[in-house]
Amino acid sequence: MRIPAFLTVVILLLTTSVSCIREESFENTPQGNFEALWQMMDERYCFFEYKHQEYGLDWDEVYSRYASLITSDMPSKGLFEVLGNMLAELRDGHVNLYSNYDVARYWKWYEDYPANFNDSIIRNYLGTDYKIAGGCKYTILDDNIAYVRYASFASGIGNGNLSDMLNELAFCNGLILDVRDNGGGMLTNAQRLAARFTNEEVATSYMCHKTGKGHSDFSSPEAVKITPSDGIRWQKPVALLTNRSSYSATNDFVNAMRQFPLVTVIGDRTGGGSGMPFSSELPNGWAVRFSACPTYGPDMEPLEFGISPDIRVDMTSEDMARGLDTIIEVARKRLGGR
Amino acid sequence: MNRRITLFLCVLCAMFHLSAQTVGEDVARPIVRSTMYGVGSINLYDTYLSPVEYSGTQVRVLRESIRMTRWMEGHVSRQTLFQGYLAAAENVAGTSSELAGMVNWNYALHYNWYLADKRLCLSAGPMMQAHGGFTYNTRNGNNPAQARLYANLAASGMAQYHLPWKCCPLTFRYQVDLPFLGVMFSPQYGQSYYEIFSLGHSDGTVVFTSFHRQPTLRHWFTADLQFRRFTLRLGYMADMQQARVNALRSHDYSHTFMIGLVHNLASF
Repeated sequence: MRIPAFLTVVILLLTTSVSCIREESFENTPQGNFEALWQMMDERYCFFEYKHQEYGLDWDEVYSRYASLITSDMPSKGLFEVLGNMLAELRDGHVNLYSNYDVARYWKWYEDYPANFNDSIIRNYLGTDYKIAGGCKYTILDDNIAYVRYASFASGIGNGNLSDMLNELAFCNGLILDVRDNGGGMLTNAQRLAARFTNEEVATSYMCHKTGKGHSDFSSPEAVKITPSDGIRWQKPVALLTNRSSYSATNDFVNAMRQFPLVTVIGDRTGGGSGMPFSSELPNGWAVRFSACPTYGPDMEPLEFGISPDIRVDMTSEDMARGLDTIIEVARKRLGGR
Repeated sequence: MNRRITLFLCVLCAMFHLSAQTVGEDVARPIVRSTMYGVGSINLYDTYLSPVEYSGTQVRVLRESIRMTRWMEGHVSRQTLFQGYLAAAENVAGTSSELAGMVNWNYALHYNWYLADKRLCLSAGPMMQAHGGFTYNTRNGNNPAQARLYANLAASGMAQYHLPWKCCPLTFRYQVDLPFLGVMFSPQYGQSYYEIFSLGHSDGTVVFTSFHRQPTLRHWFTADLQFRRFTLRLGYMADMQQARVNALRSHDYSHTFMIGLVHNLASF
């Protein structure tokens, strides 16, 4: 049979037209790493428009200002400092630059405010015979108020843990849930815990993501719903304690909990951090973290710079001198304890 | 988009239906099966994980079966190809690594033209491909991995040349497979897997692909050395998988040198 000539032509055309898919690459030089970082943020960071409204962030102006500081012979540590300072312009605790010798960060969202938490004083309340369920430590205070401390949502908690813990605390008059200094972790842990405090499904927040490289290229926000747990659910008043170091997944947890009728948020404003961070890297191997997927409140209000409590309380030096935690004491009174 | 995906699935079903047809004639039909093992280099790139390319080593296994059918006066052969690889790669700076794995199943029907006193055989036909795998970046946080799931219709071409040397008969083969239509899973540009799987926000994660979005090529060369009781197969494969979907870019370039054994059977 005669070979169809077109077969050969088609195969040749197809094989020669397969072009490589690559991105614009930057050289591993101070200038190349600077350009790579600026462009990465420009294309993938999710809060440019919001932060322009809040404090006039202009990322192009940031480029001009920092590009002049880059020289071809600058040492690695000098470059790290300049790039770290450039990222700090974003005022975002989820934005970091990681080298072997340091982590560039912006932590003013809690460093510039009262700590409102003292680990030594917490021991006065937890004692030494507290119980542990997953990531939670819990005890019953002498006025029959339950005290639960969840220090990090990076520590897991299972539905079995939660049911047994709430069953143990069922006879208490109220529950203090302390998420101060909880810098976040797994959203799924936070949502599993929140599901124990609502009897109906609630759309607590909205989440979206970038769909392209433009500053306003976002998907339609979709509801994040907290569905009531099938296990034991808490039906009594709750005081949720927060401070400036309640950040990231904890900020999301506070946003959900504040919408449940039996919950009162007491303490200081949360630190915020409502953008789920993604990771990337520079040509020289330094890792980069940045906010990628923004979360909004139930009325589409930004949560990036934190959530105000229902009752604003600071720890006082007088109480601290007496070994008391002012915020816990206010919560106890609120729940009908002391 | 849904109509295109439905059309694509219909074409796949038609290929299956065709393969299920048989003609009842008692003529011996050769079956060639081989299993090859290989090692080679790989270059991984996925802008969902990193803007930097990762280079490393991969090990691969390839299982192939070619069976002559009775269709179209015995000119049609059926090829099934299964391959899988595992790879480990590092960025240029050596500060981060990626692990990758992929299994790939292919089913092709080739029409064969015999030339030069049947020493040369040229083949061409459609191929169906299904791929499943992952790339895992060991350093990333909320975007640690990328799932690779896609299916394609491809054009497949093959050339075989047989040298009937008495001492050691040789058969050379070159095959090229070019996908031109398919569906692929991909998160959106900045979408997290938490949104897709924990919240169920999966709109736009299954996309239609064609040559401009997935300019992919796999070609390979084998040499069969027939000794008295067995046939040794040596091979080289260049597998150039790449895609440009949802504003994300990825590629997976591998070069593999393989060795294995061939079993020649006959079916009635």
